[in-house]
Amino acid sequence: MTSKLAKPVVRQVKPLLSLDKEEARKRALNLYKAWYRQIPYIVRDSYLPKSVEQCRAKLREEFEKHRNLTDIRVIDMLVIKGQMELKSCANKWSQSCHIMNFFKESYEQKPKDFLSKFMDGRP
Amino acid sequence: MLRTPLHRALLPCVREALSVSRASASTAPEKIEVFIDDKRVLVEPGTTVLQAAALVGVEIPRFCYHERLAVAGNCRMCLVEVEKSPKPVAACAMPVMKGWRVKTNSEMTKKAREGVMEFLLVNHPLDCPICDQGGECDLQDQSMAFGSDRSRFTDIDHSGKRAVEDKDIGPLVKTIMTRCIHCTRCIRFASEVAGIDDLGTTGRGNDMQVGTYVEKMFLSELSGNIIDLCPVGALTSKPYSFTARPWETRKTESVDVHDAIGSNIVVSTRTGEVLRILPRVNEEVNEEWLSDKSRFAYDGLRRQRLISPMLKVGGQLAPVDWEDALVSCARALVEAGPHSAAIVGGLADAESLIALKDLFNRLGSEQLFTEEQFPVDGAATDLRSSYILNNKITGVEEADLILLVGTNPRFEAPLLNARIRKSYVHNELDIALIGPQLNLTYDYTHVGEGPDVLKQLVSESHPFARKLKAAKKPMIILGAQQLKRPDGAAILASVQQISQKLGKNKDGWKVLNVLQQTASQVAALDLGYKTNARSILENGSNPPKVLFLLGADEGVIQRSDLPASTYVIYQGHHGDVGASMADAVLPGATYTEKQGTYVNTEGRAQQTLVAVTPPGMAREDWKIIRALSEVSGYKLDFDTLAEVRLRLEQVAPNLVKYDEVEEANFFKEASELNKDASAKLGNESFDVKLKNLEDFYMTNSISRASETMAKCVQAVMKQKQSKYYEAQSA
Amino acid sequence: MSSVHFGIIPSSRFASLPQFVSCFENFQGQTPDENMASALSLCRIGHLQKVNLCPVLSTIQVRNNADAAPTSKTYGPLSDSDRIFTNLYGRHDWRLKGALKRGDWYKTKEIVLKGADWIINEVKASGLRGRGGAGFPSGLKWSFMNKPSDGRPKYLCVNADEGEPGTCKDREIMRHDPHKLVEGCLVAGKAMGAQAAYIYIRGEFYNEASNMQVAISEAYQAGLIGKNACGTGYDFDIYMHRGAGAYICGEETALIESIEGKQGKPRLKPPFPADVGLFGCPTTVTNVETVAVAPTICRRGGAWFASFGRPRNTGTKLFNISGHVNNPCTVEEEMSVPLRELIERHAGGVRGGWDNLLFVIPGGSSTPLIPKHVCDDVMMDFDALIAAETSFGTAAVIVMDKSTDIIKAIARLIVFYKHESCGQCTPCREGISWMHKMMQRFVKGDAKPAEIDMLWEISKQIEGHTICALGDGAAWPVQGLIRHFRPEIENRMKQYANCQEAVAAKN
Repeated sequence: MTSKLAKPVVRQVKPLLSLDKEEARKRALNLYKAWYRQIPYIVRDSYLPKSVEQCRAKLREEFEKHRNLTDIRVIDMLVIKGQMELKSCANKWSQSCHIMNFFKESYEQKPKDFLSKFMDGRP
Repeated sequence: MLRTPLHRALLPCVREALSVSRASASTAPEKIEVFIDDKRVLVEPGTTVLQAAALVGVEIPRFCYHERLAVAGNCRMCLVEVEKSPKPVAACAMPVMKGWRVKTNSEMTKKAREGVMEFLLVNHPLDCPICDQGGECDLQDQSMAFGSDRSRFTDIDHSGKRAVEDKDIGPLVKTIMTRCIHCTRCIRFASEVAGIDDLGTTGRGNDMQVGTYVEKMFLSELSGNIIDLCPVGALTSKPYSFTARPWETRKTESVDVHDAIGSNIVVSTRTGEVLRILPRVNEEVNEEWLSDKSRFAYDGLRRQRLISPMLKVGGQLAPVDWEDALVSCARALVEAGPHSAAIVGGLADAESLIALKDLFNRLGSEQLFTEEQFPVDGAATDLRSSYILNNKITGVEEADLILLVGTNPRFEAPLLNARIRKSYVHNELDIALIGPQLNLTYDYTHVGEGPDVLKQLVSESHPFARKLKAAKKPMIILGAQQLKRPDGAAILASVQQISQKLGKNKDGWKVLNVLQQTASQVAALDLGYKTNARSILENGSNPPKVLFLLGADEGVIQRSDLPASTYVIYQGHHGDVGASMADAVLPGATYTEKQGTYVNTEGRAQQTLVAVTPPGMAREDWKIIRALSEVSGYKLDFDTLAEVRLRLEQVAPNLVKYDEVEEANFFKEASELNKDASAKLGNESFDVKLKNLEDFYMTNSISRASETMAKCVQAVMKQKQSKYYEAQSA
Repeated sequence: MSSVHFGIIPSSRFASLPQFVSCFENFQGQTPDENMASALSLCRIGHLQKVNLCPVLSTIQVRNNADAAPTSKTYGPLSDSDRIFTNLYGRHDWRLKGALKRGDWYKTKEIVLKGADWIINEVKASGLRGRGGAGFPSGLKWSFMNKPSDGRPKYLCVNADEGEPGTCKDREIMRHDPHKLVEGCLVAGKAMGAQAAYIYIRGEFYNEASNMQVAISEAYQAGLIGKNACGTGYDFDIYMHRGAGAYICGEETALIESIEGKQGKPRLKPPFPADVGLFGCPTTVTNVETVAVAPTICRRGGAWFASFGRPRNTGTKLFNISGHVNNPCTVEEEMSVPLRELIERHAGGVRGGWDNLLFVIPGGSSTPLIPKHVCDDVMMDFDALIAAETSFGTAAVIVMDKSTDIIKAIARLIVFYKHESCGQCTPCREGISWMHKMMQRFVKGDAKPAEIDMLWEISKQIEGHTICALGDGAAWPVQGLIRHFRPEIENRMKQYANCQEAVAAKN
């Protein structure tokens, strides 16, 4: 009977890249640095209407957004995505409008109150 | 008039079954046992094989058979084998007999179907790619299901197929007669339901043609239904031709607002445009028919539309933003306060009605009127019984005598008229009329022309009173338009008194019925709108400072009636009479563009659904009023449709009980309260507004904007020039 | 005999249904219950009439038919004294005076006074079968009408719309012996309890209609019909209605529609005319000849009439012999007379001798043809011709000798049926015109042999699938042709193909 008692199960998951937390941290830092160094070129080449400082601040903001993550697999995945993003910026696959998406300036708030919705013609 | 012949043509057994079922329930006829594909089923005597098969879920293919038309039995598609019979029998016409074993899937049945299918296709053109029926064609579907898999019509290489000249039967129905398979559904519809014997067959054998005998148009207020009935593409919709395939369109179930019947419809749309309107089956309202106005006036939905708010600048209406428009209107309303008045038209939904009423009440005004006038003396609009069709539309089928008072149901409510005709043909219903001589689709007794007859009927001195008294289930249908007369109250009171007398000991059978003419009237009266709009002009020194017209386009109040200082706000969807006299225009939505509640003349609440979005800057009507209320500082406390409907429920719970009829009561009290009025009956004869077919097509802002409807009017005028035209009325 | 259940057969020539009669035969020896069940199933044939079942009658009939074994008796020629139509050739006065001389209207009053049951019994005893084609026992058919009235009047319709190619017997009666028909109407009308008779006469029969009208007027003037007809206290009117020349109006329900003033298109059955007929009232439609022989049967007795012909095929009959004979004629002859004797004795033989015969259409154009070897010894009556895969029809014998292009002959018949199809129901409207198209090509030979089977199948798709029997009538000639002369058609096709090849080679 005892064998059937519930035991805490440790699930072994396959790592994406990093084996421990430290390795993941290094990868994130490396990515940050790569971005940091690339930003001047991106700003110049894509004629971004932003200064290098603004962009670096945005970079920091994007990384800070995920500062509390602990799951190594999630961190790894975000790092991979960040690398892809970086590559597409560096290779100019992303155009300025895509990069400017990070700043979300063209996003408009959805109207909430009745009158604004009415003026907008929203249901 | 088709009456006896059809009755006679009915299978005697069916007739027996009918009479038995009418006679009494105590002697229920013994059921017959038959077997359909070895499935046992018990049926009433007189049931046809096809009906019996339907009971066990076996569908037998058919072309000519239609539940609502007489049995023709000429397409032979429904042939099925019956055990021990050497020949297959026509399932649509053959009543089952005891112990029959019907085989709907046997070799003989299949062979017979295949044969008939082959014959039908021999002379049917292979023009499916350019045929408007494609995708909803019975012939296509059934040839897939029951036909042979290959053609052996070798004569196509020798003599080809039959070709038939197309006929011009009017601006609504397009004919491609080569496609006709001679099922005669259209002919039967015309003579049985529409009551016009214009369609028929000429020629014999392979030269037989369906047509109008002589060169004339098939003009009826129900003509569009033959398009639905036609199982092939021989009769298609002219305005819809080459527009879309059925599988491309989005279908929205909705309700029609062109008359007070509230026919159920399906709105077909594609890319934000209404492409066509089809009827939806509702046994209690429109069965499966639809009047031509409801079906074809949809092109009016995109012409003459108001698509932007407008303000009068320098004597001219100029498009402005919603903000400007709302602010201007709100300022005018707030300034006017209690001195504002509103008139609502015939197409307004209940949601906007309640919103407008609440707003005006907050402004301190009780001046809310319907455009349709109705007597206010006594308790006319307070008691529901005096403004709805109390017997319901289905009541027509139970009635044995109908007295029409000052109404022309044929053009005011074509589907009610179709019911009356149905009952006239099948149930021996008698009809009488007080009012001008009309060309109805059935025979009627013309009792008199004016209110004097009513007076005599009240005092029972008229010979017709005896007949009314003798009837078991009499119905009196009073046309709402008579109640606009100065002596309207007296007319209502007299009819109430007659009905009250007749209704005694009738076991809950109501006699009094009022036939409304517009879709909004019953809801407006339920919500407590007043009906004497002209009274705002009568309090002389104090005309309204703001007049709010909610889709009021019938010109009850003219601009010239009002002082120049009166600010007129028009909210509606079409640039019609109302908009032309307005200082501010707020563009609203039509019935296909909003989810709105309409109550038909029976008191049946139904709702339309959004099929397309309102064009341009137009908005749903209740929202406009809600926005206006906020801008003017009298904010109404509902933001969503659900909240509006909660409010509706508070005021009139029946308005949100969809598809139900809230019955009226207090007949006696209504009659009592109105008693005094009956003395003031005038002498002028009744007149009806819609006398002839040409009057029928254009009755509201949508149908007035419709090109198709204009063509119909033209066609009627042209027909009148024709040498084959007989003056029909009187 | 379960035929009781079949009820009223359309008097028309269409109703000659071999299946029907063969089913009819099959019923012998079945128990009454089986009979009833089979008869019920037969009711659906469409030509047949749903009626009150009367087991007593059925047993009587079964007994009658049980001794229907063929006898070795020879049939025909008919002696002059036994002829019913004594002025068939118009050599005597056809008016009332002449008719009275020939014995018409003799003791009609007494016959009428004997009542409906007596008349029906005599007709039953005579074994008279409808002369319009279907051959339904007349006594039985009339007795279906003789049920208690529900308040509606009853009508007798006389089908004088004789339009079947080859048939020309009714016109002889109407132009030379109209009083036979007038008197017959009264007797048959009395038997059915009818209030009036409508004689629906073919539009082309101008002189016949004229003579008939004169005869009717004479009868009215003499008090023989009308109020208190023949002084019997029985009121009976006769109206004549001229058709507009449509073959289909010879179908009983189309005839009724036509009298009612509508397009002559057959009605769906049920309800049968005996329930809902002319103007919605119980109606019986019978052939002219059937009605016209009734008074004589009543006068001379059913047994006398039954003494002619084989059992179940009794009586005398007008035969019309046309085509390639030396002396085409209409003649009254005993039933069951051998076809060869009929042709040789009365029509002067086949043109060029019996051996020159190619085929005979024995019962009017809608019956399948029979080739010479069948003609050699076939007897002219209902049962013998059914056995020969054809039908007795109206006994209109069309004789064709070897000079005939048989394919063209049948194609011509199809032209007629295509033209006369009413167009109401699909198989007949579309099928016959398709058959017509194919037959036109067959005449030339411009088709493939496989199409012969297709034509056969098409004719089978028409047969039995239509509202009335016109479809069957149009399908049968083609079936007869294919059944007996298939090699002929194939030869024609081969010739045509060869010819085409030769032309192609030359170019």
